[in-house]
Amino acid sequence: MHIMEGFLPIEHAVGWSVAAAPFVAWGIRSVNRRIRENPEQRMLLGVAAAFTFVLSALKLPSVTGSCSHPTGTGLGAVLFGPAAMAPIGAVVLLFQALLLAHGGLTTLGANIFSMAVVGPFAAYGIFALARRLKASLAVSVFLAASLADLLTYVTTSVQLAWAFPDPVGGFGASFLKFAGIFALTQIPLAISEGLLTVVICNALARFNPQELQDLGVAPAPEVRA
Amino acid sequence: MLIEQSAYANRWRGVAPQAKGLFALGGVTAAFVAAATPAAGLGVAALLAAVTIGGARVSPLLYLRVAAPALFFLAISALSLAVSVDGGGLQATAAGTHQAAVVATRSLGALAALLFLVLTTPLSDLIALLRRLRTPEVLLDIMVLCYRTLFVFAAALQDMRAAQAARLGHLDRSRLLRSLGQMAAHLTLQVWQRSHALHLAALARNNDGPLRFLGSRHPHARRDAGLAGVAALALVLLAWSGR
Repeated sequence: MHIMEGFLPIEHAVGWSVAAAPFVAWGIRSVNRRIRENPEQRMLLGVAAAFTFVLSALKLPSVTGSCSHPTGTGLGAVLFGPAAMAPIGAVVLLFQALLLAHGGLTTLGANIFSMAVVGPFAAYGIFALARRLKASLAVSVFLAASLADLLTYVTTSVQLAWAFPDPVGGFGASFLKFAGIFALTQIPLAISEGLLTVVICNALARFNPQELQDLGVAPAPEVRA
Repeated sequence: MLIEQSAYANRWRGVAPQAKGLFALGGVTAAFVAAATPAAGLGVAALLAAVTIGGARVSPLLYLRVAAPALFFLAISALSLAVSVDGGGLQATAAGTHQAAVVATRSLGALAALLFLVLTTPLSDLIALLRRLRTPEVLLDIMVLCYRTLFVFAAALQDMRAAQAARLGHLDRSRLLRSLGQMAAHLTLQVWQRSHALHLAALARNNDGPLRFLGSRHPHARRDAGLAGVAALALVLLAWSGR
């Protein structure tokens, strides 16, 4: 869920931009280092950003019957790493504001923080943890993509509740209100996106293992005697 | 994309992007300045919408269709601001309703300012404007590549979708999900293939630095920026006096 233009008070808008900026700067630095070592990756981020943008414009059949749009943060974090997702996500969110009027320029910092920082880091951490606990690839990918979606939406609810505490119940009541209203769309979306990401990974592993290896994306399988 | 259509076809397409950016900045500032009084905030939003539709000749229907998703978000968020949960029951408090009105009008004003900018200015002009504002070169490169590849991917997606539909890939929900997954998987692979091809193409042209293109020329940039600055200032003062 993108927070729309002008919705946050000015001090919150500035504060979230300041909070998101170091992550984007750090992402750019790590990307620059990667490009120096590996110059053929120079074009990768721009193309990856377009991929994330196009993916997020797909119409996904949601479990409740309505249609929703995936965020693509989980898949992106697993494919490109969470550090690279901060600048990629920043550009994608800027483009969504400029080309689709989803989100906004004053709320860009808050949206970057929830969708391009919290989401990818959560996805990557959950994916690594699940793999370490010997979960299968499908389960790990499902958990990473769907929990990243849920954490993104919880972050957005926290941002809204912090900016607008309830006059009666304060922060807690306001958080429950926002989280409750957006849960109607966001929980089905998280489940659908988790399923879609599993289907994507299965299709990649089934049809294109050789290409992925040649491109240096997936590690070569162990040779067993 | 509806915004693209209007950005290239409106009457103010040739006006310098810095002028339109300045006016949009004035619009956002006015929306935040006027926020304390909902009526003044509504006035700012209406004025900005009138300038976009009347001045730049953006079709009102397209304007509404572009604004609809944001308005939907605004409606449910304002509703949840207006009511309070109190001991299991819902109630609308005076403080909550006032807050909802303030936030809704401020968002409407800021949204109208954003729409003015994006509906009159193509993205390539906005990227040129960001370059003048000293945005890091890495981010600009990502934007330029992203903007171009967006349409390449959209075309690839459309072809794949047509092929899948022709083979009954969208017959029921489970098959639709599987088709979508296969489509996204193929697109994922193209990320590396296309970026590799782009890299080779750049090397073949001796390019290993930032990607630069000729921008559009704006002979009256100074005059445009001056007029826009005066208009922006007037808007902010109007909002200030109206609150």
